[in-house]
Amino acid sequence: MGKILLVARYTFLEMVRHKVLYAFVFFAFFILGLGVAITQMTIGNEIDIISDIGLGTIEIFSTVIAIFMGIFIIQKELSLRTLHPLLARPLTRPQYIIGKFVGMLLLAVVGILFMTAILWLMLRFYGGADRIVIYLPALYTIFLQTALVISVAVLCSSFVEPAVGALFTISFYLIGATSYNLVYLINRRSSEELKRVVNFMRYILPDFSHFNIKDNLIYGKGLENISLSFATLYAVAGILIVLAVAVIAFNKKEIN
Amino acid sequence: MSSHIEVERLSKTYRHPMRVWKVIEAVKELSFTTDPGEIVGFVGHNGAGKTTTIKMLMGFVRPTAGRISLFGRQPGDPAALKRLGFLPERPYFYSHLSGRELLRYFCGLSDIPGSAAKGRIENTLRTVGLADAADLTLNNYSKGMLQRIGIAQAIIHDPELVVMDEPMSGLDPIGRREVKEIIRELKKNGKAVLFSSHILADIEDLSDRILIIENGVRRSFGPLTDIIPQQDISWHVSFAAPDRDRETLFAAFKGLRATSGHFTVTIATEQEMNATIAAVLERRYTIIEAGPLYPTLEEVVFRMKERSGAEVRHG
Repeated sequence: MGKILLVARYTFLEMVRHKVLYAFVFFAFFILGLGVAITQMTIGNEIDIISDIGLGTIEIFSTVIAIFMGIFIIQKELSLRTLHPLLARPLTRPQYIIGKFVGMLLLAVVGILFMTAILWLMLRFYGGADRIVIYLPALYTIFLQTALVISVAVLCSSFVEPAVGALFTISFYLIGATSYNLVYLINRRSSEELKRVVNFMRYILPDFSHFNIKDNLIYGKGLENISLSFATLYAVAGILIVLAVAVIAFNKKEIN
Repeated sequence: MSSHIEVERLSKTYRHPMRVWKVIEAVKELSFTTDPGEIVGFVGHNGAGKTTTIKMLMGFVRPTAGRISLFGRQPGDPAALKRLGFLPERPYFYSHLSGRELLRYFCGLSDIPGSAAKGRIENTLRTVGLADAADLTLNNYSKGMLQRIGIAQAIIHDPELVVMDEPMSGLDPIGRREVKEIIRELKKNGKAVLFSSHILADIEDLSDRILIIENGVRRSFGPLTDIIPQQDISWHVSFAAPDRDRETLFAAFKGLRATSGHFTVTIATEQEMNATIAAVLERRYTIIEAGPLYPTLEEVVFRMKERSGAEVRHG
């Protein structure tokens, strides 16, 4: 465990100092600023609009950071050969992979907390600071979803080139974000056979609808029909499966 | 005293990346051992199989056949890795960490407790001459400084054996001299070093034993004097004689050269040298020096390459 946390710590330290990350932070500010502008131009509850744009921005930016930092995380070490001296120490490949994942997770936590702080400042400006407490479950599920995306990015980074990895991870995210609605639409209009196939696919394809609770919280439905425990279980199971595959793939890999 | 590294009939084949039916034999039945406290130079041209062999030693790639033992264990075994330091070719490290942070990281990976790590880091930084640059981030380091911080991470845990892949590659003469000094210092402190290079002067300068590899095959292994084929060794006798005897001497000795106050005869065999010594003494001249003349490593490798090319042409 000590080695995993050590790798995680230095992974986090290296990434948090990366200039690319500050570009993402800048964009987060920009999008949230855009939210303020939109509230000036639209009629409705400003707090709801700010919340909607704010939570949406946090979700998108967490995912973008997860994908674009994650897909380079191991490939970069392979191509620059920073990995070789690490593996020449008493550090196992599973410890390395899991350490990298935990380091990315730390980065995601810090990123989400940072953007949440900006959202809170904006809500406070419009007199809705206490709403942030209501949104904590949504922030938690955004974190779960981000963690799942990070695990896929780490898996891709452990054995394919960054471009292919990015394509695969973005596809994973898009399928996850749309699979629930796609299945719903197909079930409404298709033949029984297709429905059976689609319902079977539901168990294989990622489904991020379990993490999408922000609308319920923004528009006052609370946590009705939502199971945070199931979302947690779903994310943890997914992460464990993906990381197990990553560890097996990386153990077999020849480090050239 | 058991060997640090034992390599027996080691082979590695790869599939050609484009033509998958084609097999590339990177290393073929390579065998060698390294002993405690010695410097072994691993020499071969680019693509000879040096880096592949080192990667197999470190457990980065798996051998196709053969056996490797590191301190009596398998490559990649944590107990063996604790006794081993490694410097990759053209080392590159996390550019946003400082030199001191990087060494702290490697201390942690090497199970050095925090209390001992601090002193170890300062000592190692001094050894590699980076004490003043310890808090600069690595993206501000020059190539030579990166090489030195690379060596620092390889020796921070006080290993018994340090494996270095092309440690002098890409360095200017001053950088090369500094790295050579560090290698000599390691030996002085009882450490063993296995280093690869295609710069023969460096290998010749530092190595107790030299392993020559060509197209993945071991060509020779041993001290420089042992690996030189007998036909490449010539013999010489230098003696002092009055200048008035010059003409008589040139008539008497074949291959005689006159150099600043003395004469030198170069001959092909030891027997001829003994006969020459006897002839010189008979004339009551003073022998200044006599013995074998070894070719440089560069000449040895070049002649080996020429002969293997001739073998291929005739075979």
